[in-house]
Amino acid sequence: MTESQPTPQTVKDDQKVHGVVAEFTDVDSLLAACRRVRDAGYTKADAFTPFPVHGIDTALGIKPTVLPWIALAAGLTGTTIALVMQTWMNGIDYQYIISGKPFISLPAFIPVTFELTILLASFGTFFGMWALNGLPKFSNPMFTSPRFDRATDDTFFLFLDAKDARFDEAGAKALLSELGGEFVEPVVEDETSKVIPKGLLIGLATIIFLSFIPALAVLRMRVTKSGSPRFHIFPDMDFSPSKDAQQTTTLFADGRAMRPDVPGTVRRGDLDWDVNFKTGIDMEQLATIDAPRAAQLVALQDDVAVDEDDEVAEADAASEESAPAADETGDNTPWLTQNPLELSDEVLARGQQQFNIYCSVCHGMNGRGNGLVNRRAQKILATTWTPPSNMHDPTLYADVYPDGKLFSTITNGIRKMPGYASQIKAKDRWAVVAYVRALQASQNASLEDVPEGKRSEIEKEQADVQAQLKAAEEATADSAEESSEASSDENSEASSDENNE
Amino acid sequence: MSLAIPNGLDNSNDRPGQRAPLVLGDTNYHSITEAVCKIAEQPPSRAWVIGFLVAVHLATMLGLCIAYLIYTGVGVWGNRAPIFWGWPIVNFVFWVGIGHAGTLISAILYLFRQEWRTSINRTAEAMTIFAVVCAGTFPGIHVGRAWLAFWLAPYPSLNLWMWPQFRSPLLWDVFAVSTYATVSLLFWYMGMVPDLATFRDRSKNPFRRAIYGVLALGWSGSSRHWMRYEKAYALLAAFAAPLVLSVHTIVSFDFAVSQVPGWHTTIFPPYFVAGAIFSGFAMVITLMVPARTIFNIEKLITIRHLENMCKIILTTGLIVGLAYGTEFFIAWYGQVPEEKFAFINRAFGPYWWAYWTMIACNVISPNIFWSKKARTTPWIMFVVSIFVNIGMWFERFVITITSLSRDYLPSAWAYFSPTWVDWCMLIGSFGLFFTLFLLFCRLMPIVNMAETKATLAKELHMAHADHSHEGDH
Repeated sequence: MTESQPTPQTVKDDQKVHGVVAEFTDVDSLLAACRRVRDAGYTKADAFTPFPVHGIDTALGIKPTVLPWIALAAGLTGTTIALVMQTWMNGIDYQYIISGKPFISLPAFIPVTFELTILLASFGTFFGMWALNGLPKFSNPMFTSPRFDRATDDTFFLFLDAKDARFDEAGAKALLSELGGEFVEPVVEDETSKVIPKGLLIGLATIIFLSFIPALAVLRMRVTKSGSPRFHIFPDMDFSPSKDAQQTTTLFADGRAMRPDVPGTVRRGDLDWDVNFKTGIDMEQLATIDAPRAAQLVALQDDVAVDEDDEVAEADAASEESAPAADETGDNTPWLTQNPLELSDEVLARGQQQFNIYCSVCHGMNGRGNGLVNRRAQKILATTWTPPSNMHDPTLYADVYPDGKLFSTITNGIRKMPGYASQIKAKDRWAVVAYVRALQASQNASLEDVPEGKRSEIEKEQADVQAQLKAAEEATADSAEESSEASSDENSEASSDENNE
Repeated sequence: MSLAIPNGLDNSNDRPGQRAPLVLGDTNYHSITEAVCKIAEQPPSRAWVIGFLVAVHLATMLGLCIAYLIYTGVGVWGNRAPIFWGWPIVNFVFWVGIGHAGTLISAILYLFRQEWRTSINRTAEAMTIFAVVCAGTFPGIHVGRAWLAFWLAPYPSLNLWMWPQFRSPLLWDVFAVSTYATVSLLFWYMGMVPDLATFRDRSKNPFRRAIYGVLALGWSGSSRHWMRYEKAYALLAAFAAPLVLSVHTIVSFDFAVSQVPGWHTTIFPPYFVAGAIFSGFAMVITLMVPARTIFNIEKLITIRHLENMCKIILTTGLIVGLAYGTEFFIAWYGQVPEEKFAFINRAFGPYWWAYWTMIACNVISPNIFWSKKARTTPWIMFVVSIFVNIGMWFERFVITITSLSRDYLPSAWAYFSPTWVDWCMLIGSFGLFFTLFLLFCRLMPIVNMAETKATLAKELHMAHADHSHEGDH
């Protein structure tokens, strides 16, 4: 079975003996020899076999391993990690509701728990086994014998360790020969230099050093700024094939990437055919007087619906040209005389709010045309400034200046005043009209207009205000001479208002 | 030291009172070493080179397809509304299933002390690893932005500020498949260490000796080491056995935990596991029948090994057939209209051809193994194993595609058509599998020499005992 036999090693005097080894060719004689060695009192004997031989651990007196306990501990660690991890991550730190499932859902956590238990138990078993075996260990005194290569092929070795208390070289050799061992020979300690070759060390160091470079480069890039665009290893949908505004395309005949709305498109909720409401003009009547103008206005309103921003401006421009002209030449437009909104506290409140926001800056809170803009303009542009109208001028009363015309003025503007169509919705403009009417009524009312029950209340309030004003005037006189003109103006104005009532 | 062989290389005849030998020929420990080591030490055969070149080309095709997919996006696949779980998931489940036989052979048969596993377990385990590699590819690229697949891992991310969803079966999959791959790899490698030491000790070339030396971790064959090693091996087998069952169970949860008719069934876990073992054993036969001839290891991987595997294929094939029948029965018995429709649609709907291919391959074809002649004739096994592989791929196709293509709302029905990328990836995944497998055949011990020798030792011991017993009379 065996071919050429290498000569047994000779031991030099200066070499330390590691033990004695003998060869066996079959399992049964090895097992018998092991039992005899154990019975002879050797505790550190070991056999080397190409495959696991059953019963050899008892034959040699090898104690059972603690490996199963390591595996158990590792497995339980896995269980714990998995349960704690899932409970913390999904139950506490980052809760999200998925079809009403509980945040800490043990049944749902079982699969991952099971897998991690197995994984860690397997790691414990695998690495624990190598650690207990003292592997990897690439140097072993046994490997110094060329005959030992056959330990992984077909030959069985029985080894008596020099560290054993019972060991003496001659006795061990005699015992092994007696047990039927062939090629009994001493094994010497492996005295090859344990120093790692310099070249290998330098090579390793270089590789380790080089391996840091990519990571360092990435780290550096994360903390520095660069003028050049970032690398895109993965396109990541960052570059969408869709076109930006003003770009060209070959997809459409006109070459425009932006597509105009399909003619007749109306924005959701904007479908409103009531032209009268939007212009303040009775269109049916206008059509009988001035058909072309009516048609033009209707067309303009349609366009407003199609594309608000652009067309509103055009509409404004168009009506700004015509409106003043019509004013001067005597207006025959059939204005609506009735506010189409149903009057209510709500509408008036809305109108007041809108008036105070948009109109009061020029027309004043009371509509007398002395808002902050007017006051300032009087100072700096006195010559060119056209003052805003006083709402309480009789020419602006409903009988002369119908609601529809007032609406149209707010919509399209007049003289210095721009149109407010783009800022104030049509409905709100009508609310403003209603509020202006109320303001006009309030400024020219007498105490008789107030219902009986509330008169005394008004009178009391009036008296209070008068008293306060007096006190304020005195305070103003006492304080520095140059108290602001504006405020005194307002005071006098306010008092005169009160007087009117 | 040799054993008498009754019928040449056929050891499939069981004589009452005596087990047929698992290792044939004029065999001793050294000849086992020779037979196995020779495969890696001799220059490669022509068959190997041709096979390797073909496989590498197909694997390259897979690589190019993946690059194209990542650059362009998952739209290059045929997955369209409502079939978003298309071809790649079919491939994933198919490949994961293939893997199961390996672990089953090495773990469950080990725990049952089935010694006939010893000469086939190494190849089967290698097959497991490579099948899991192929399987892992598909969900990896199926996530769309594959370079962000690491978001699946629960790590404290400073960019996301969130954790994965542990109540989702898709995340269970991540843990199940990665644990399975890791444990299988440890199991495979650990089983290989003593054989790698044999390779190391036989190497004449210092380079080879250094490489195998590092891989063998300084294994010396010490009895103390063997004792812990065997304990560790038994423990790993005990861990791996439930793991096998859990992996495909969890994969089946991907389907079963949803509400889709045809998916939402409790039969899925056992049915998937049986199917996995079925397809896995078929793949082992597909690999073993040519490999034992090409590498001249018929004496180690004997007809009896193959016959045993055929018996398992027959059993699991019947289980799978029973599962198909049960599904139909429950669909009728449960009286859920959508469920009933789903199964009638599978058999008679637009995918009838896939369904009946599956039935023909999985239910009908394995029944040939009732015949002993078929069980002991390698070419018949090979053909049937190919059928089973095809059938099991179609089973996953039928489950995945038919249920999605027609669920509750007829307005959302659609027909799935794979694109050329789908096809190339399926074929390419076979290329990857065979590339890895052929490399393994050339570089690693494809038969577990240590365990085969232990089996031989036991047989020699028994033969000896028999002999001495006869001598007593």
